[in-house]
Amino acid sequence: MLATLALGAFALVGLGLLRLQIAEYARYRQLSEENRVRLEVLRAPRGAIFDRNGELLADSYPAFNIMFRPMPAESTERVRATAQPGWLHRVSALVELDPAEVRQLVRIANTSGNSAVLRRDAPPPVLAAIEEYRGELPGIEVVVEPLRRYPHGSLAAHLLGYAGEINEAELTARAADGYRPGDLIGRSGVERSGEQNLRGRDGAEYVVVNAMGRRVSTYADVEPRSPVAGRDLVLTLDLKVQQALEEAMAGVDRGAAVAIDPRDGGILGMLSRPVYDPNEFSHGLSQESWLEMSRGGSNPLLNRAIQGIYPPGSTFKIVTMITALRNGLVRPGTHMPQPCHGSYQFGGRSFGCWKPEGHGTLDLVGALQHSCDVYFYQLGLRVGLPRLEATARAFGLGERTGVGLPQETSGLMPGPAWYDKRWGAGRWRKGVLLNLAIGQGEILATPLQLALMVAEAAGYGRALRPHVVLRVGDGTNGGADRPAQSGVVADREAWEALHTGLELVVESGTGTAARVPGVAVAGKTGTAQNPHGRDHALFVCYAPVEHPTIAMAIVVENSGHGGSIAAPVAGQVLRRLFLPDSLQRAAPVAVAAAADTDTAGVAHGD
Amino acid sequence: MATRLRLPLLDFPMLSASGLLLLIGLATVYSATTVPGAHEGLWIRQLTWLMLALGAAWVAASLHYRAHDSLAYPLYGISLLLLVAVLAFGTSAFGAKRWLELGPLRFQPSEIAKVATVFVLARRLSHPKLDLSRFRDWFPPLLLVLVPFALVAEEPDLGTSLSFPAILIAMFYWAGMPAGTLILGLSPGFTLVLSFLLNPRELPFWLTLGLGLVVVIALVRPRRLLLVTALLLNLGVAFAMPIVKDRLHDYQLRRIETFLNPDQDPHGAGYQIIQSRIAIGSGGLLGKGWLQGTQKGLSFLPMRHTDFIFAVVGEERGLLGALTVVILYGLIIVRGYRLAAVTRNGFASLLAVGLVTAFFYHVIVNILMTIGWAPVTGLPLPLLSYGGTALVVNCIQLGLLQNVALRRQEY
Repeated sequence: MLATLALGAFALVGLGLLRLQIAEYARYRQLSEENRVRLEVLRAPRGAIFDRNGELLADSYPAFNIMFRPMPAESTERVRATAQPGWLHRVSALVELDPAEVRQLVRIANTSGNSAVLRRDAPPPVLAAIEEYRGELPGIEVVVEPLRRYPHGSLAAHLLGYAGEINEAELTARAADGYRPGDLIGRSGVERSGEQNLRGRDGAEYVVVNAMGRRVSTYADVEPRSPVAGRDLVLTLDLKVQQALEEAMAGVDRGAAVAIDPRDGGILGMLSRPVYDPNEFSHGLSQESWLEMSRGGSNPLLNRAIQGIYPPGSTFKIVTMITALRNGLVRPGTHMPQPCHGSYQFGGRSFGCWKPEGHGTLDLVGALQHSCDVYFYQLGLRVGLPRLEATARAFGLGERTGVGLPQETSGLMPGPAWYDKRWGAGRWRKGVLLNLAIGQGEILATPLQLALMVAEAAGYGRALRPHVVLRVGDGTNGGADRPAQSGVVADREAWEALHTGLELVVESGTGTAARVPGVAVAGKTGTAQNPHGRDHALFVCYAPVEHPTIAMAIVVENSGHGGSIAAPVAGQVLRRLFLPDSLQRAAPVAVAAAADTDTAGVAHGD
Repeated sequence: MATRLRLPLLDFPMLSASGLLLLIGLATVYSATTVPGAHEGLWIRQLTWLMLALGAAWVAASLHYRAHDSLAYPLYGISLLLLVAVLAFGTSAFGAKRWLELGPLRFQPSEIAKVATVFVLARRLSHPKLDLSRFRDWFPPLLLVLVPFALVAEEPDLGTSLSFPAILIAMFYWAGMPAGTLILGLSPGFTLVLSFLLNPRELPFWLTLGLGLVVVIALVRPRRLLLVTALLLNLGVAFAMPIVKDRLHDYQLRRIETFLNPDQDPHGAGYQIIQSRIAIGSGGLLGKGWLQGTQKGLSFLPMRHTDFIFAVVGEERGLLGALTVVILYGLIIVRGYRLAAVTRNGFASLLAVGLVTAFFYHVIVNILMTIGWAPVTGLPLPLLSYGGTALVVNCIQLGLLQNVALRRQEY
């Protein structure tokens, strides 16, 4: 009876073995493979970004990240080990992180099954310590992953943008594009608009791991897929120009500057202040820094060059003047019926000139040179709102320029339709025209739009297509095939009158602070009235006058007048670019002296 | 004349099966301990222990069992002292104290206690005046088992401690207790198991218990005293279990619950069972080959050289290897029970039954555990698992069986 019982029991064992090893063999075979074989992603490096001369602006380098990797089938020993205070304290000490933070990260990793980065871009001493104790620290791994690097720090930060680790929401939204957790994704600037090119295609390989999750060897049965690096981008940016802009704007709290090549619309430099260091995003931003950046009053993440909107002030007189000339309403030598005595009466209101003592009698060119408001009030009334709006739009105001950067703002160029909508048909007065004619009132423009405006003015109204990408690394064009806007049609005489006026502004008008010895500079100052505080100072210019190679717009917020604040910035940039090194040191003194005397007359003007 | 008769009387099938299993065991321990890690190279120590174990087996087989018999009570006494010593000074592992350390030696007194208990039980149950139909004659053997059972259970080592009642049941049966009586006597044990399957605080448990008792009593028709005692014991267990369950170690409860449903906790206690089943199942018909097991080689299989060594056999040698091992064990056990049946001396016969049952219990509980049909109890597989004490004691058990075989015609 006992022997029978024993035989019965062994028959049961035999049945159990048959079931496991024969009936369910395939399933368990697969489970044992899944146990030991893990898919490992080989990250493709993101494409680098260069300036037009091949200077490196952004690239990726292999960073050593210290990771905690939970296993698909967590071993009892591992869970026990990682839950022990000893493990936690040793790991925290090694990665130099707070134990509570490490515990939190490990807990999230264990529940979600995703790896957690404990320390990004760990320095060699930390890596050495980790390597030494790795055998005793289950779950801890050192993984090499490309990290974004911006060698010039905050230089052109807003234009370049930054790339960060993809978040949950982006993952869901872009699942079809093959993004995986841990991937870099461009968040702003060129990093974002050039994502398609910059992003590489990740490779993958299968590796054999042991129960502790340690890689033992590569799995030979499946061919690894090599990563394909992202394409490099060559920008129209010129590092020299950008550096000159950065230097000249260094003392500015809030403001923006844009430099454009008036020959082709390529962005030579773009700057917004305050600024941030995009490298901080690569290393993982702390909650506090992020809040400080995104919520702080000055908002360093905002790219004021394309997102900041300002009334163009007197820089808009360029548009008013061309509108009148191209429609044949005035000639360059035309005088207005009423000379300037410091103010102009219209509709029972008095509209002041910036110069209370008045400019006296001026022709059109002289009025531009001295920025006489009274002349332009009358000119505005003569051209009318529809013509003014049409010309402004032809210059690209009130529309996104399509420069190829994310989140560009369109600004505002009001016309009759806009006022009808705002106040009701016919319920607004012609008086708005007076303000618009001198660039005040509802009109708003981005610094980029202003730079584009002056660049087109320099080029006899030829349509320009502002762009930042010169070419993609593999040779394909950076998007030059995008349709250009209409451009501004006016006869040559009109443009030459404008150019003469603008040159006079810098030579002996309101913009003398932008003078460069030996180089003819044309420009226009502007002061944007700001109901919330001090006026914004503006200056637009191009140089050299004969064959312009650069056009610029400078905006300095809440600082005062364009002539005294913004024009000197432009002057410093231009001197830096056009004068040999030896002259640069001496030049500012001489020019500053000249500017002092010259601007004395316009001390309160623009 | 007597000397000439001796050799042919050895049980050769059992001897060959034992020898083959020891060789398979050594090869498997070698495979399981060539994996880089904490247990690397332990197979050399196992080889040393094997030499010692073979010597001990030789001695156990040579000396007349009556000589061992006279040592039974002193040995039993010493093993109880050792069990107490374990509780006092033992070495812990996984929340349990199971080992005693004497200098470089580390051994498990529960293994020794098992053999000693078989001896004293055999002696007690072969007493000429014993009458198992008399209720009071049950108590001395029960007491002899209860003490080591309780001490081992306290370590706690649930798996090994349950081998004591298993031995007692087989020996009671062999000593002539009627099967019906035995079943009724065991009924509190079934109630115990039931209390884990169903919540003893709820109605279904009580319905099942009542129905079961009525059926058993109707079949067995016991005398009144037995009936009352059995009923009282069953009710006692039923009422005590909720309290006992509250006091069980967490890991003990978890193991039992995990056994009932291993997939519910794949990261925790169920991990061992799942990995063991993967190892065996992925071995297929012919296995992955000696030293080629990935479950074993990459350390997914826990305790691969001790409790889960059968999974290594299954993974590397497949169904053929695993069945070979099972058949060899079956051979030893069936030959063992057959030996007990043909042995003329009552003490020797009971001794054989006890020894074979202890062996059988370990083998079947361990193997059922590795295929996921029994809870993880921490029992080694006799002759295959790494572990010195168990190897020596198991060889002594087999030596003693050969001892009985040699003298099976004596009265």
